Amino acid sequence: MKFAKLVRRNLFRSKVRSLLMIALMGAIFFLVATLIQILAAFESLNTGGAGDRLVVQSAFSLATMLPYAHEQKIRQVPGVVDVAKSQWLGGYYKERRNTFAILSVDADKFKTVFPEHKLDDAENAAFVRDRQGAIAGADLMKRFGWKLGDRITLHREIFPFDPEVTIRAVGHHPVQGSILFVHQDYLNETLKWNRVGTFWVKVADPNQMAGISQQIDAAFKNSEDPTETFTEKEFNRQFVNMMGNIKLLFSSISLCSIFMTVLLAAITMSMAARERVTEVAVLKAIGFGRRLILGLMLTEFVITTLAGFAVGVGGAALLYANVDVAKYTMGYLPNFHIAPATAAICAAAALAVGLVAGGLPSMKSANLSVVDGLRKVV
Amino acid sequence: MTETLVQINNVRKVYQRDAFEVPVLNGITVDVPRGDFLALMGPSGSGKTTLLNLIAGIDRPTGGSITVDGREISRFNESALASWRARHVGFIFQLYNLIPVLNAFENVELPLLLTKLSKKQRRQHVESALNIVGLGDRMFHYPRQLSGGQEQRVAIARAVVTDPTIIVADEPTGDLDAKNAQETLDLLQQLNEEFEKTIVMVTHDPKAAQHAKRTLHLEKGLLVESVEEQAAEA
Repeated sequence: MKFAKLVRRNLFRSKVRSLLMIALMGAIFFLVATLIQILAAFESLNTGGAGDRLVVQSAFSLATMLPYAHEQKIRQVPGVVDVAKSQWLGGYYKERRNTFAILSVDADKFKTVFPEHKLDDAENAAFVRDRQGAIAGADLMKRFGWKLGDRITLHREIFPFDPEVTIRAVGHHPVQGSILFVHQDYLNETLKWNRVGTFWVKVADPNQMAGISQQIDAAFKNSEDPTETFTEKEFNRQFVNMMGNIKLLFSSISLCSIFMTVLLAAITMSMAARERVTEVAVLKAIGFGRRLILGLMLTEFVITTLAGFAVGVGGAALLYANVDVAKYTMGYLPNFHIAPATAAICAAAALAVGLVAGGLPSMKSANLSVVDGLRKVV
Repeated sequence: MTETLVQINNVRKVYQRDAFEVPVLNGITVDVPRGDFLALMGPSGSGKTTLLNLIAGIDRPTGGSITVDGREISRFNESALASWRARHVGFIFQLYNLIPVLNAFENVELPLLLTKLSKKQRRQHVESALNIVGLGDRMFHYPRQLSGGQEQRVAIARAVVTDPTIIVADEPTGDLDAKNAQETLDLLQQLNEEFEKTIVMVTHDPKAAQHAKRTLHLEKGLLVESVEEQAAEA
């Protein structure tokens, strides 16, 4: 394109200002991309989970535990294939910053009820055999350099229970690579409570889940421990809803950042356009039309914002590709990276910022009267 | 008989300044023959630059008509005027008005970017324009690396590179020292005489006007006299 040189030269007319502008855009798009990605990680909780599982918890709250005896009644509901008890333990390895998800689960039911962890048969058998065995997610194995057979001690967070376990199996869940499972029996042997937080129910026909839920809850309606049964997706959504304010906060910060970018870019671009009033008048005098002037200036401004996008989002992608974010977020952001969709959203935002912020000064330049423009200095 | 290139017929121009109407030209009628070198003189506010702007098609009259090379440009819309200027008008300004981020070659090439010429053809045109103004060896110098006189010569090269129908010059020597002013005027005279370019020049300087074939004086928006250049009379 024969006008490319003109655009390129104008882009770096004031190198310091252009570089500062690109750096500022880069910093803001880095922040926005990161926030969007964190929001996406929250959202993935919503979409995660198998479609053939129900979760039974106490009707009072998730913190209220249910008696083991419920399991037998749940099993008797038609359509139930299997049931696994599970309890959130929390905890950490060696230091608090090494916090990650630790759950107890019925070892012999794990492979049937949670097949998406893709356990090796031999490893699963070893886990089932060893009451102090553990299944560690692949990300944890990598993060701490663990090997099968390693003996580790975990530290309590909620219960008076510091599990000493041997890693017997590696979980290969596509998303949840930072979870560690221990035996439910091991927990119960220590605490002797015979109570558990949740029952995970695998059903034969996902279309019957609503009916099965009602039957389970009806079975305990008049007991001391009534239940509330959710599909797994509904259960996960509870946690996302708990994060509702965080989502709103992050979304607001993202929008404010982009709005701030628009204002800063508009100020800078207006200054850049104002400095060139006479030059634009000269270009118009020698025959550059209104559309051409508008196109040249908008191209210049959009390139600036896209360069900011490239620096910010490219930098974020590079950083998260080389830094284990899970390590610094106590395992809450496993496999954290800038997804193509996030990059696309930021690219669209950068384009929009360029067009919106550059639109007004470009229009003013394009509509400038040649006589008025030349009069500025002549 | 000399062909008329520019016909200015009863042209009026009124500027609106806030609530006030400021009349600048009050019915100017004048013809500019092809190949003429016309100087417009007059005190500040007499309307000479306004008349030049109207001839160049960067402003439109409030009344009357302006015809250049058989086309009534006063009826053109803005877009048509821009295209017309690109093909028919070369501009020379008092402060040269070169684009500072482009070198001499690129500044002269600017008007050619609006044509369909190939890169090679553009280069040939630019080189020959810069050679005419004696700056063939300064092609890749930026404006800040040139003297005022050299900058004005680059501006002249930019004005002639498209081989325009008419060249308009607004105080072309107003910002130059005597030596550079003389060189610039010689160059304009050369363009007029050797290359038969029609030139309309606004100036305050009677010495500059002496280089023109004709001088018209304006006062309060009216034409007050016309003086034929001695050489032309001879």
